[in-house]
Amino acid sequence: MNLRMTTAAMTCGLLAFATAAKADSGGPVCGLNTGEAATGEPIRVGGISGNAPPGDFSGGTRAAAAYFACVNANGGIHGRPIAYSVGNDQWNPELAGQIASRLVEDEGVVALVGNGSVVEMAVNAELYAEHGVMAMASGCAISECFESANIVSTNQGPLPSGIGALRFAIEELGAEHAACIGFNIPNNGGWACDWMNRYMEQHGLRGTSILMDPTSVDLNGTYLQALASGADTILLMLPAGPAIGLLGVAEEQAGRDMFNWVSPTPLYEPGVTEVLGDYWDGHIYINIELNQFDSDGADNRNWIAVMDAHGRDGDRRDTFSQAGYLSARFFVEALLELDPESIDRASVTDAIRGIVGAESDLLCGPFYVGDGDRHMPNHRGRMVVLRGDAFELVRNCFDIDTAYLEPILEQERRLGLRD
Amino acid sequence: MMTVYGLFMVSGLAVGSLYALGGIGLVILRRSTGFLNFSYGAIAAFSAMTAWQISQWGAPVPVAWIGAVLTGFVLSVTFGYALAPRLSHREPAIKAVATLGYLLILLGLMGLLWDHSLRRLDLPTDRIAVMVLGVRVTVTRLIVLGLAISAVIAMIVYLDRTRTGLNMRALADNRGHAALLGVPILRVETIAWGISGAMAGLTGVFFGSLVRLDPTVITFMVIPALAAAICGRLTSLPMTLIGGLFIGVVESMLALFPTLSAYRTMAPYIIAGLIILWMQRGNKLTFATGD
Repeated sequence: MNLRMTTAAMTCGLLAFATAAKADSGGPVCGLNTGEAATGEPIRVGGISGNAPPGDFSGGTRAAAAYFACVNANGGIHGRPIAYSVGNDQWNPELAGQIASRLVEDEGVVALVGNGSVVEMAVNAELYAEHGVMAMASGCAISECFESANIVSTNQGPLPSGIGALRFAIEELGAEHAACIGFNIPNNGGWACDWMNRYMEQHGLRGTSILMDPTSVDLNGTYLQALASGADTILLMLPAGPAIGLLGVAEEQAGRDMFNWVSPTPLYEPGVTEVLGDYWDGHIYINIELNQFDSDGADNRNWIAVMDAHGRDGDRRDTFSQAGYLSARFFVEALLELDPESIDRASVTDAIRGIVGAESDLLCGPFYVGDGDRHMPNHRGRMVVLRGDAFELVRNCFDIDTAYLEPILEQERRLGLRD
Repeated sequence: MMTVYGLFMVSGLAVGSLYALGGIGLVILRRSTGFLNFSYGAIAAFSAMTAWQISQWGAPVPVAWIGAVLTGFVLSVTFGYALAPRLSHREPAIKAVATLGYLLILLGLMGLLWDHSLRRLDLPTDRIAVMVLGVRVTVTRLIVLGLAISAVIAMIVYLDRTRTGLNMRALADNRGHAALLGVPILRVETIAWGISGAMAGLTGVFFGSLVRLDPTVITFMVIPALAAAICGRLTSLPMTLIGGLFIGVVESMLALFPTLSAYRTMAPYIIAGLIILWMQRGNKLTFATGD
């Protein structure tokens, strides 16, 4: 282990210790944790999230904003506060491009943190690479977000999370033929369901993709397609709203016991248990990308404390929020390694790429960035089942084994994180 | 194989009856006022959200339903009374664009009032069902189909047998001549907006229950509903009903063909497009009115 990695590991260790100690006392722990407001020259940081019908991906940028506010109230980056500027792409690619140009070219941000969108990454990945700026995202759902050199996310996205759910279905529920129901969007549902089918084939089993238009009204037809396919397992590769609509149709058709029901993270959202009701009790298994919202881990408690102290009323407390907190925390820890007077885009990009072995109880493994041409550091998951009015953990951290991860695992070997 | 076809046909009829119900509301208004109301879906969405809100406050289901119908009525009449008369002499396209503006206002208002939290609108009739060709059809879906058929019959009788219906037909034929003959235009048009709005309220509740309670999704159901209305040439209620059901069945049956199933949401527009072409064969302007 070289000197830089040793120093980074020691800093992470000290911050983790401080987080645990302070979280025990109930207050949030952020950055240097001095209790003194930062008053120096601001460090400009950007963020882009989508918040418009049909979905709100603002949890990541809102949590990052809360964490940065906490850092600024606690010494900042060695006295320099973070000036965080966030844009809402409203799911509009043109707007996503305009916001990124403004932040990267006009405002000269040193990095983007907390990004969450289904359009922004596809539009702006090239811009980020061209300008040598890193985006530490937290709400990725499309392939470009995981297959770009300058974007790294703390969330998993649909592919690993879905495969984690499938692995559980095969091993625990006896799944032999899974129908992956997703949106007919090539870099989202098409991409993820294609890899689901390969995963099933890899295990000598069968996978069927059922892709629907995002605006489809006829969820009954989609359900009947799954029924006609002969599948024994349904993987709901959908946002929570349409997934609940489909479960409503299945309930109407008394279809609960005809399939194993598994889902990636989107169904793990506050309010889902209440909306689904007793009918689905014990019948929906969900892969979660980060730890449970009510886990006792120090970092999870610190996320809650930060949101309580520095968040706004109405801020979402979902997986994207946890991921936004994590991205902001790792970003701040990387910045604290730098000489505050020489912080610029190039040094910040290097510092972010230098993150290796950062830890959190929210994750199942170390977080890292490195200089690879793609990034997916979060690829271990947990499984929960809907039980009563809560989610019960049924499998703790486990590996997600897919050929898609081969280049990622190779990076981890190069970084010394894997044998 | 017949059983599979039966499954998808029954499923399609259920969705088609929702399209038909929406289309009928559009045609009623179009016939009486000349307005093609693009905000119909937004009014339905606002009504459905209101019904959910009322039920969240602990009110019984019938109160929530009445609340939804009243909301639809009020929102529709507000536009019909305050803005529509000022546009009465403008071209049909300008009238339609004005309703698009109203759609955006209502959509924005819903975004302010209700966040993106997950919601569900359950009706007591969702829990009772009958088996038809292997498909479990809930009473809610039967009510929608029954309501669509009843609305067509009731409106035909209303337009043919009542004084207000006669006035509505007179307005549809020629607004200027009707005014000269002493038809109380504002009153008659307000009644038409009210009936259409109340239907939008009911449609919204059923849509929220059977598809999903999402303001955007319900708002844009106006598009397949419009396709159903086009099948009825924006004037014929029975043809709108048949068109809506036909679109629903075709859309559902396309799910049986793997190469086409991902594109089956195109069905309403393709069918509407073909029908427009068919109607244009005599060079008659499809949407022209007497104005």
